[in-house]
Amino acid sequence: MKGMVVSRVKIADWAVLKGRGVLTTIGLGSCVGVVLYDYRSRVGGLAHILLHDSRDFPNKSKPFNPAKYADTAIPLLVREIENIGGNKERLRAKIAGGSQLFKNQKVRESVGEKNLRLVRQVLEEHGIPIIGEDVGGNYGRTLHFYVDTGKTIVSTVGRGEKEI
Amino acid sequence: MGEDTVNSFKLDVLKELANIGTGNAVTSLAKLLDGEKITMEVPDAKLVPLQDIPESLGGAELPVAGVFIESTGDIQLTILFVIPLESALKIISVLLPAARGDFDALEQSALLEVGNILTSSYLTALSLMTDLLLLPSPPAIAIDMSGAIISTVMAEARVQDDELVLLQTTLNSRRKRIIGYILIIPDRGALGTIFARLGIR
Repeated sequence: MKGMVVSRVKIADWAVLKGRGVLTTIGLGSCVGVVLYDYRSRVGGLAHILLHDSRDFPNKSKPFNPAKYADTAIPLLVREIENIGGNKERLRAKIAGGSQLFKNQKVRESVGEKNLRLVRQVLEEHGIPIIGEDVGGNYGRTLHFYVDTGKTIVSTVGRGEKEI
Repeated sequence: MGEDTVNSFKLDVLKELANIGTGNAVTSLAKLLDGEKITMEVPDAKLVPLQDIPESLGGAELPVAGVFIESTGDIQLTILFVIPLESALKIISVLLPAARGDFDALEQSALLEVGNILTSSYLTALSLMTDLLLLPSPPAIAIDMSGAIISTVMAEARVQDDELVLLQTTLNSRRKRIIGYILIIPDRGALGTIFARLGIR
């Protein structure tokens, strides 16, 4: 990690980076971490998405934070990646999170599932293929994305880590 | 916070409500833990950026047990009782002397009950003071990194504000060194209703 930029992405937050560096987000529960990566220009971004669809929330905060919702965070990330030299056509996605931590939530579609559904839908609308994922289950995840290689590591409490 | 601006006077009022609520909860917890002496810090009521809440309890990666309850009725409240795993093990060893400490179903249900009792006593106090009907949901438990638990609870609460009123209390037991946190997140309308009940504008 020596000499590398390590940028921490908080909840409802985003970051983009070019070249050598790591984008990290800790504690994805029902939230979904979305990595977008242009392998050729080695430009990438990460968003930590809290909620599914901004159109479902009429009383949003002002100023509006687009990184909080799947439908607005992904277009934002695409734009910002393009701004630092990435190409939308080459973007690939990796996603992690969308779990259901609390056991007795007996609902038809959990918050995590809703988030995942919207993330997949918005990525598809933008023509961005998902090439790696670690989603669902009942546990939280931490994600490290190495921007220069695209390598993405997901770690958990008590379940080890894996590359997606 | 939209039209319901929260000034420092209002935050003090919330602090006092939390103080009485937590006092009640501490008494219940002490009874449950064989008369263990529990102290509580003066509750904090503050406006916190959403993004900083997962960090507010000793780091987003800290392994914790979280008991989550939603209260409906006259107002909507989200309640989370967070215990770092080390403390959770001590609570379990008092309640279940033969426990293995592996957080199996029985041990989780013991923690769930502790969370339930704490929260119910808190809500009872709040309900008496404000004369509001508070209906807690059945509690749910998760054991994971605190950041994942807290962000999930905020998503469950469909938090739309980027800044939240957070009532936070730290519980401490000297002898056994048990630490616990109670987080209360009232929704936007709830604060207005509470202040109106107390005659505060």
